[in-house]
Amino acid sequence: MKVQVNADMCEGHAKCEKAAPEVFKVGDDDVSVVLVDDVAPELMEKVERAIRMCPRQAISWAKS
Amino acid sequence: MSAPTLKLSDINLNDPELFEREGAHEVLRMLRREAPVHWNPGGEVANGFWSITKYEDIRFVSRNPELFISSKGIAGPGIRPEAMQNLGVGAEQQNAGANISIIGMDPPRHVKMRRLVNKGFTPRAVNAMEPEIRRITNEILDKIDGRDELDFVLEVASQLPLAVICGMMGLEQKDWALMFDLTNKVLGSGDPEYQTDVPEEERGTSAAARATAMRGVGTMMEYFRNVLEDRRKNPREDDLPTILLEAEIDGEKLSEGDLLAFCFLLILAGNETTRNGISGGLRVLCEHPDQKARLLKDMSLMDSAVEEILRWVSPLHHMARTATADAEIRGQQIKAGDRVLMWYPSANRDEDIFEDPYTFDITRTPNEHLAFGIGEHFCLGAGFARRELKVMFEELFRRFPNIELAGKPERLRSNFINGTKHLPVRLNTGR
Ligand code: HEM
Ligand code: SF4
Repeated sequence: MKVQVNADMCEGHAKCEKAAPEVFKVGDDDVSVVLVDDVAPELMEKVERAIRMCPRQAISWAKS
Repeated sequence: MSAPTLKLSDINLNDPELFEREGAHEVLRMLRREAPVHWNPGGEVANGFWSITKYEDIRFVSRNPELFISSKGIAGPGIRPEAMQNLGVGAEQQNAGANISIIGMDPPRHVKMRRLVNKGFTPRAVNAMEPEIRRITNEILDKIDGRDELDFVLEVASQLPLAVICGMMGLEQKDWALMFDLTNKVLGSGDPEYQTDVPEEERGTSAAARATAMRGVGTMMEYFRNVLEDRRKNPREDDLPTILLEAEIDGEKLSEGDLLAFCFLLILAGNETTRNGISGGLRVLCEHPDQKARLLKDMSLMDSAVEEILRWVSPLHHMARTATADAEIRGQQIKAGDRVLMWYPSANRDEDIFEDPYTFDITRTPNEHLAFGIGEHFCLGAGFARRELKVMFEELFRRFPNIELAGKPERLRSNFINGTKHLPVRLNTGR
């Protein structure tokens, strides 16, 4: 599955990076970028946690 | 004195005195258990509203900013349409008061407006400001050094957030006291102590509250008109009014109304909540000496202590929304047009989320409290607020580890702001 960060909403709180460092990295512009094309099954739970914890609710699964 | 047994039918969360005397937790606990989505009847002037008391339901409302909008009012139940006429223009202004700043704005315009300033509030910006926050904190503490008893709210807790936000706005230090005063009048308008423009015998009424808020807003309007006028002529680097003056949305500059509303919001939101986080934090630590001692012994617990303070205190009692369509929450039918109030202190004591929610534990993990809201309107200043609390307690306890309460706190009469007006403390420096 694909995960996406809404760059308009993201404000660099880095909760996502903490929850799933394999998947998210906050750049120098204080916006989180997704590091992987496809989230491996064993990382799904961590990504779910990131989605839940993001204070701006900026992360979602991509509807492909 | 043993309290009479609480009945669901008697509950009225629109009673500011309930919060002033700290009776709200008992009521909210009952609602979570018996009526988690509860219709609170209105009064002669006030609308009825739904009380949302469960953590997950407050997340749900916050995360659906198109279904639950902010532009019909963000504080309190609002005024009934029938009552509006009798009250005249003032009432309409009150209902619409917040409409034009981001806190009372809906998608899609909201995020565009927020993005004009949000880079000034990121973790990076907060880190860059930390030395300045520490310097200001020590300046404040220098002033009380050598004293015995003092009012912690007036002399300490209120001073740091005031200095930080006024600094970011580029306001001259001589005007900070006025900003403190106006914040009290606007956000504490229901408390007789701040109704100083109203004859004494009329204080304490809802008319006095409206008059006080309006007077505060009026004075603030005039003040910021002048600030904006000045920055048009003398733009400054990095101050928020200048950034706003130069900003454009879809190729258009902000209107004077937008600019004024943004300035108000920053002053109001940046001031009072953080003040109450600091004073509420000191109070709860002093009331739990074991936790205070533990923190003093290991200051590396400060980050999680600050989170627990925010959960425990919940500096804002609620934020309001209005449903734009029929909706269902926890089986309860909400009608389009209904007002809903999200009670943060209740979310932050929700037994389904927090283990032993009534235990104050500075090492609590996880601690995903909702003191700053979540989603579209998540507190813009959360990073600054957290850092101000952290630095304040680090410096305060480094310099005055034996500080203790020296009397009863005087609480604000409000169901919106969890305010402490005065908190007598003793420094016990042994000098
Ligand atoms: C402990 C201190 C604070 C608490 C508990 C707090 C709480 C909140 C809450 C709950 C909201 C969400 C409103 C909603 O969902 O409708 C909010 C919004 C906001 N806060 Fe704070 N706040 C604090 C400090 C600050 C500071 C220091 C600033 C500015 C420097 C600030 C600026 C704002 C702004 C501008 C908004 C509106 C954001 C929007 O609508 O997009 N706050 N705050
Ligand atoms: S937690 Fe949310 S706001 Fe923070 S960096 Fe990640 S995506 Fe952005």
